[in-house]
Amino acid sequence: MAEIETLGILQDIESLVADQLQVVSYKWLSRSYLIPSDTAKRLLQEFVEKHESGLQVVYALSGWLKNDPPSYHIRLVSGSKLPEAKQDFDGTCSIQVYSVQASIPKDPAALWNAEFVQAEELFKQPFTVDNCLRDNRFCGISNSYVKRSTDEIPASVAAPQPKTAVDGESTKKKTTCQNTTVPQPHKSEMQKVSPYVGLQSPTVVKEVKSESNHTEPFHQASKPIAAKEKIASLPASKKKAQSDKTSSSTGGSLANLWGRVPAKSKLGDNHADANHATAANPTVSSAEAQICAHEALQVDNSDDDDQHVNIKRSSNESGRKRRVVFDFSDDEDFEDAVSLASPENPKDQSCLDLKQNKELHKEKANSEDQLNGKLKIKEEKMSEFQQSSVEEKLHDSSAETNELSADEDDSNKIKKPTDAAPASPKRRKVLRTRTDERGREVNEVVWEGEEQKQKKDDVSSTKTSDHKAAETTTNRPPAAKKSPALGNSGAYPAVKSGGKKAGNAAGPKQGNILSFFKRV
Amino acid sequence: MLEFRLVQGSLLKKVLESIKDLVNDANFDCSATGFSLQAMDSSHVALVALLLRAEGFEHYRCDRSISMGMNLNNMSKMLKCAGNDDIITIKADDGSDTVTFMFESPTQDKISDFEMKLMDIDSEHLGIPDAEYHAIVRMPSVEFARICKDLSSIGDTVVISVTKEGVKFSTRGDIGSANIVCRQNTTVDKPEEATVIEMNEPVSLTFALRYMNSFTKATPLSNTVTISLSSDLPVVVEYKIAEMGYVRFYLAPKIEEDEDETKPQA
Repeated sequence: MAEIETLGILQDIESLVADQLQVVSYKWLSRSYLIPSDTAKRLLQEFVEKHESGLQVVYALSGWLKNDPPSYHIRLVSGSKLPEAKQDFDGTCSIQVYSVQASIPKDPAALWNAEFVQAEELFKQPFTVDNCLRDNRFCGISNSYVKRSTDEIPASVAAPQPKTAVDGESTKKKTTCQNTTVPQPHKSEMQKVSPYVGLQSPTVVKEVKSESNHTEPFHQASKPIAAKEKIASLPASKKKAQSDKTSSSTGGSLANLWGRVPAKSKLGDNHADANHATAANPTVSSAEAQICAHEALQVDNSDDDDQHVNIKRSSNESGRKRRVVFDFSDDEDFEDAVSLASPENPKDQSCLDLKQNKELHKEKANSEDQLNGKLKIKEEKMSEFQQSSVEEKLHDSSAETNELSADEDDSNKIKKPTDAAPASPKRRKVLRTRTDERGREVNEVVWEGEEQKQKKDDVSSTKTSDHKAAETTTNRPPAAKKSPALGNSGAYPAVKSGGKKAGNAAGPKQGNILSFFKRV
Repeated sequence: MLEFRLVQGSLLKKVLESIKDLVNDANFDCSATGFSLQAMDSSHVALVALLLRAEGFEHYRCDRSISMGMNLNNMSKMLKCAGNDDIITIKADDGSDTVTFMFESPTQDKISDFEMKLMDIDSEHLGIPDAEYHAIVRMPSVEFARICKDLSSIGDTVVISVTKEGVKFSTRGDIGSANIVCRQNTTVDKPEEATVIEMNEPVSLTFALRYMNSFTKATPLSNTVTISLSSDLPVVVEYKIAEMGYVRFYLAPKIEEDEDETKPQA
């Protein structure tokens, strides 16, 4: 490495450590200056020799421990405890500078926070970008048998490779999350995965990929609709319902294969929020990032379904405070409703929702077209997913009155899929959080009316938005799942009018202080 | 090492009483210039900003800026053990995870030491921009507390409108509605009883009375309260702490919502 460059980096380290009080570890250094990790360690060593005073050094000791049976051990010790720690090792041990910092952080996690955030960002880059984490170029150990190419995505990643931009974002972030939890094993993951890819020819993988895109969301979204139409019990629609079913069962095996993708990507989206925060505010939210990483691991490992994950999430996040969850289904008491939307930019969120829903619907329509060819192309043209869903209904059911009664039936009879709270589309869930007299945080879920009747047709949309809503507040009270059932069991017209009244009386919504003052 | 000695110990007690209902845990940021706190309530609707300047203390020493995370309820419990005339000293050593409150009785014949555990709180610090407010109302704090209390028995929200006429507090509830108008009144014997309205343009904003009532817990700290309103900003309810600083409460207004975000257009 050229002398001048080295000097420049050393100066940079000095300013980072002294002025920005950042923990500079060799990993971070290697990634941000694109130098091999060995060089990074040497640079740090050089830096430590030059500036012995005014900084704290954390060394990485590795060697065999003295105790019996001997075990290989890698230990991080601060400079002051170095001689002491050396005694624990048998014979010689390697001593390398792990990181330099202005002071030893109170929280050990702060040591790797900077590199964690960095790794996260690297993984967040598009798959086509070949960065140093993906090709493992700075690692001292390399395996010449491992072939990496940027166009071919590891199978684990390829699975949810989406068509829509929105999904793409989220999946990407999901994988980011998964991978960043174990930045080192990433390469081994790649190795592990490649034989798997090898089993099937690449084209097969591709096919599966695209099909899963179609059928998978459809599979989830269509089920309730299919069921609904069956209950509507019109001869015309029966056929349709059946074909719907077949379509979903054709996708069955695939759906099993890729079944949890949307759940994950939704989750991933959520993670992305957290990640976003992390990126914006790395020092403050390191804990958040860790939680996120931790959860991603859990999601990765568990074979649980969506619902389970959700519960896990909520329990994870509400861990610190005592919470009381009140479940109100009456419409009067929601004056102080706290906005569910994200404080930064609620409109964006809603756009995303809308988009997602639209996409979902479009995909659904597409696959339906392909599979039974019954639906008119018209549907595709519909920009408004709600309208399209209504259209669809009108095609199949003969009379509106029938539909209405069927709807009522539905609300009582249908057992919705387990993965989401069954959504009553006419009404909107409003989560209120307040502190009661005893200092507990109280989450109340109240229902606010909505005049749009059609919305109820689109189960998937409400499902998604419900998800979203719950996610943005980041604390989804488990009891919320009951309230829609409560709402549904009521006679529909009555509920509707009640909801409307409440909607008018609602008046203003409580603003959020975060929409006025920005975090610093 | 930090050490603050506050002769008027009751002041700290009052400060804690005023904010502990709104915020559970908060970081006290200690620097060479003073003792400050900023915290949001759990629903992120209200924000408290407290400042006690170094000059207000009899003795103030803070070698390096630190932030001490405290559970305000526990702190209040400890401060309740101090007599109203006691001198309170707050002490903390560098790197220690406790803070010590020392109470001395005025006659110096009783000295109590209370040590409280600190906690790690990751709080978000918000940048509060300096802003020109459309209307600033200064009124007796007791009067304001009374209005909030009265209105909360009728409705949940208060509409505060400032016009040339004066400041109007109104609410509406199931049983009826209420309007309270306070006119500008500077012709009183004592300046603290005056109601002064500075208005650049008329403002009308809606707030949750629950929070307003919680703010008025700070009434014992000051004879007057200053309410600053702008149509696009949270209201600021400020109680000055004589010669030391202030407690400011920021409350996000209720916003008229035209459409539900999750609901697509028909």
